[in-house]
Amino acid sequence: MLVLSRKAGETIYIGEDIEIVISEVKGEQVKIGIHAPRNIDIIRGELLQDVSASNTEAVITSLDLFKKKK
Amino acid sequence: MNIQTAYFGEVKIDSTNILKFQYGLPGFENEKEFILLPLEENSTFQVLQSVQTAELAFIITNPYDITANYSFDIEEATIKALQLEDEKEVVVFTIVSLKETIAKSTVNLKAPIVLNTTNKKAKQVILNNEDYSIRHLISSESKEG
Repeated sequence: MLVLSRKAGETIYIGEDIEIVISEVKGEQVKIGIHAPRNIDIIRGELLQDVSASNTEAVITSLDLFKKKK
Repeated sequence: MNIQTAYFGEVKIDSTNILKFQYGLPGFENEKEFILLPLEENSTFQVLQSVQTAELAFIITNPYDITANYSFDIEEATIKALQLEDEKEVVVFTIVSLKETIAKSTVNLKAPIVLNTTNKKAKQVILNNEDYSIRHLISSESKEG
């Protein structure tokens, strides 16, 4: 993984159309601005992990619930 | 073509009905093809069966049946990815996480599946909407089940 050190106000470009702005650094929190084309999904990592966990929980292990209702 | 399924044995499917998830689903990134199979006993729910992995299947339902005011904007990224041209092409599903009863089961309103019925391209989108939960209790809206 490429790791870059940046200060508040500094930027990083990823390719031609994605710009990452370090907008504020305060204690343990970093505020990051992202300029990206609208066709790119930007999702918080923990949210994606939670959806992934939820999908894993949702894999069917039994359909008995529907059979009982009959 | 015939596929092996988790609960219905070998099933003959029409390959034109295969839903194409370009990037799979979160947690199942390599699963790019699914098929919808009816659950005869209960038409509100359907099975979303992986084409390549027999053991992998989900229950899905219509989120509008669960919560009346469900609504979200489809983002540009999804419109492009699914090549959506008309809202009439869109169908939305939500994944159900089954528990001991339907009432105790949850639906993922935060990450619905959007399907383009014309080209069968589908995507599980993640909404930037704090009102919707990943584990929305079905009984919180309905007394059925």
